[in-house]
Amino acid sequence: MPIVEARDLTKVFRRPEKDPGLAGSVKHLFRRRFTDKVAVDHVDLSIEAGEAVAYVGPNGAGKSTTVKLLSGILVPTSGDVRIDGLHPRRDRTAIAHRIGVLFGQRTQLWWDLPVRESFAVLRDIYGLDDATYRKRLARFDEVLDLGEILPTLGRKLSLGQRMRADLAAAMLHGPRVVYLDEPTIGLDLAVKDRVREFFRTLRDEGTTVMLTSHDLADIEGFCRRLVIIDEGRIIFDGDLGAVKDRYARERILHVETEQPAAIEAVRVALPGAVITEGETPRHLSVRFDRFVLTAGQAVTALAGLATLVDFRVDEPSIEDVIRRVYSGELQLDRS
Amino acid sequence: MRAYTAQARAIALSALEYRLNVLLGMVAYLVQLVALLAVWRVLLAQSPVEGFTWPQMQAYLLVAFASGALVSINGDFRMAFRILQGTVALDLVKPVDYQRSRFAEALGGLWIEVLIVIVACAGVGFALGGISVPAGPALALFAISMLLLVPLKFLILYLTSLVCFWTQNYMGVQWARIAVVNLLSGALIPLVYLPDWLGTLAKWSPFAGLTSTPALIYIGRVDLGEGALLVAVQLGWVVVLWFGARLLWRSAVRQLTVNGG
Repeated sequence: MPIVEARDLTKVFRRPEKDPGLAGSVKHLFRRRFTDKVAVDHVDLSIEAGEAVAYVGPNGAGKSTTVKLLSGILVPTSGDVRIDGLHPRRDRTAIAHRIGVLFGQRTQLWWDLPVRESFAVLRDIYGLDDATYRKRLARFDEVLDLGEILPTLGRKLSLGQRMRADLAAAMLHGPRVVYLDEPTIGLDLAVKDRVREFFRTLRDEGTTVMLTSHDLADIEGFCRRLVIIDEGRIIFDGDLGAVKDRYARERILHVETEQPAAIEAVRVALPGAVITEGETPRHLSVRFDRFVLTAGQAVTALAGLATLVDFRVDEPSIEDVIRRVYSGELQLDRS
Repeated sequence: MRAYTAQARAIALSALEYRLNVLLGMVAYLVQLVALLAVWRVLLAQSPVEGFTWPQMQAYLLVAFASGALVSINGDFRMAFRILQGTVALDLVKPVDYQRSRFAEALGGLWIEVLIVIVACAGVGFALGGISVPAGPALALFAISMLLLVPLKFLILYLTSLVCFWTQNYMGVQWARIAVVNLLSGALIPLVYLPDWLGTLAKWSPFAGLTSTPALIYIGRVDLGEGALLVAVQLGWVVVLWFGARLLWRSAVRQLTVNGG
């Protein structure tokens, strides 16, 4: 049985429709008009225990709304959510013990308390025994380096510190499912790395993770499943590796040679590839499909024609693929 | 229970951080107290008005100060901003009851207010040359009334904070509440000075329990029997508002539209 299941999930927000300016606002007081905005549109989603799912989409696509529906914060307009077979509103307390939620743009820490005290309050709210609490805190400390954070007041934390503390806070009660909504927003690279390592430890421990992020580097090497939402609808749901194999198979080999190489000779030697001249005659770019030609074959062939000084291989990231999907240039087959 | 004592503890500890804020808030109440004392001293210099003597009015205003200052600092703002800034979303995924959690927090913040009120009342009382204390039974009834004031006032603040789900703004709601409470609770003038119809309305409203009831019991304007009735009304309103607030909360969360992350 899936641990998270959404069936035909729909959320419609009612927005006041006002003409611009003060006159428009006054007019709205007397003639109230509203437009319905469908934030989530008949979404079906089912996540098995232990899965790591990337949930991506452009701004305003309905990602956060979905997460709020799946955690019981928002009541769906229609459709149904089950977490571990439980109903988000009816079994709210039971579900609260099973899920952890992190909203990157909000904190659940107490503003005027040292982080350590905030954690202690959460310990009591979730009814954790002291041994479990200490064990978890020690484990989080290993990955997130909480040492200097613990005695600091909530409002005095830097963004990176706050996010690390909030991650620990969201996981303190050992939830089986976590929703991470933009967990790396605004963080510097070093902190991002730490946070990503933390995700991997969660996954390796069997926690079900649903990750929403604009930074697709969060997803690569972590999530196996990719779900893309746009305008409230799921437009793709499938294996991340398969998407890369299918749509990100192009490689570009950049080489620098000692003497200018004869491009025609290279073209003959590598018939499946597209060869272009680089910034100087001694630079070449070889574009090829990695299922037709391997990088090793390309380098070997070039080395037979000229003396290589340097080379590097560019591979498109999942980001390129998704950018093409957002812009409508690429349509993924639903797998 | 442990979950709620922990939340009360969190605010009790936080109070140390915002103690300056608390003190400044108290100054506002003290200024109002001094101003009212000055006015009533002139008005009552010649003869009692509606049966209030100058010493009685001193005690009345001191009780009004104390009841106004309790459960007042930061609590309503904290509750309103939880809703306006959307952190209420995170409260909804915790295994605790929202209303009880907020009440626990109000209780947690009480200690610093009680401390300041006691010091301020002792100081003002001393400056006025002493305030008489009622006899045992009336004093006990007064104490019960002051205790009931805590949940009653919490509930009125809590209910107004829930209005933010609809208004998306707190300032107006807060001003309206302050105006109504000041008038109908007897905090500005005793309810006997209001027009008859309004005085009667105020007397049976939940607001009377915020100032008038404990103050009238303290100065002996009402006998024990009537005092007990007024305290029972206080208790009744606590029960009604507690469950009323639950109903309001249930429809309020359906309004929730937290945008963005």
